[in-house]
Amino acid sequence: MKKSLLIIFVLLISSSLFADDFVTQFIDTYVEEKRPVNNVNIGKTMLKKMAEDVEDAELKTLLKELNHIRMVITENRKDAKYYFKKANELVDKEFSDYEKMLSVDERKSKVEVLFKEIDKDNQNIILIALDNDRKLTIISVSGKVDFNSISKLSDLLNEEIFSSGTNNEHNRER
Amino acid sequence: MNGEYIHTLLNKYWGCQTSPSEEKELQDFFLGENVPNDLKCYIPLFRYRDEQQSLSLSPGFEEKIRKQIKKSPQYITIRIFAPLLRIAASVALIVALGISLFLISKQDASKPYLTETYNDSEAAMHQAAFAFEKLSRAFEISESVYIKTFQEIDKLNLDWPGMDSINIEKPAPRKKIDL
Repeated sequence: MKKSLLIIFVLLISSSLFADDFVTQFIDTYVEEKRPVNNVNIGKTMLKKMAEDVEDAELKTLLKELNHIRMVITENRKDAKYYFKKANELVDKEFSDYEKMLSVDERKSKVEVLFKEIDKDNQNIILIALDNDRKLTIISVSGKVDFNSISKLSDLLNEEIFSSGTNNEHNRER
Repeated sequence: MNGEYIHTLLNKYWGCQTSPSEEKELQDFFLGENVPNDLKCYIPLFRYRDEQQSLSLSPGFEEKIRKQIKKSPQYITIRIFAPLLRIAASVALIVALGISLFLISKQDASKPYLTETYNDSEAAMHQAAFAFEKLSRAFEISESVYIKTFQEIDKLNLDWPGMDSINIEKPAPRKKIDL
């Protein structure tokens, strides 16, 4: 009885301590109740479901190869600036092994994309962007992903959304 | 005592089959004076046995023990309350588990707007499209900044062949990311 309780206790503690995803760690470490954020998590299960729902074969394959997409967005100017700083702190502290793929530091916008190749089929991409309108977006994508697949996914997903929207309108007209 | 009987008893004794009363008989015999010569060799054994049996506690032994017991009351307490300590340890463990669960749940609850889109494929599709558009846009921005930088450098009308002729040690090539 005591042993099993101890095991559960250790598991609970360790699961909260060893979350290695950037967005999860960011939320756990820095997000405060008084500075709310929007958080979206699309896991493997949802990505599989999405792959089943789309018609395009290439998009199906690309979606199946992803592990997760996680996002944190805040539209509050002050919070965005604060969290942008904190996100960079987290990169320096815990994600220093990531390669800085690109960094744009303009007067009004700042974008950083970090990359880590774990193996041939598993890469992590982190985007930290502070927009012109001072909106902060943090995106973490994991899976088989590269520059070509990103632009393809962007185009194909938009096409898919557009076509499903058109189909819905047709259905409504009928 | 009959010599034959003693021999029988002795044989039983070596075979560990004697009763306490038979052992007492043997002891009395060997401590007595009429021990035959052929059995005298066993006298020291039974004398030693007698000496050991007659060992008694030294005077004041009980008092000493009582004093020792009084000196170590903690040991006695632990022995008496060992089951209670076990229960207390289990309760403490459960309380610690409860507190940690509460803190973990509170930690999650304090994170505002945690949205899971597992049940809505279409919403997830929109979010995924947004994420990849954002990433794609980031690459486009970097590309445009790159082009802009080169255009600015171009405007400076630098003497590239002249600069190339300057013998400067080239820096080590940066690690290329295959993207």
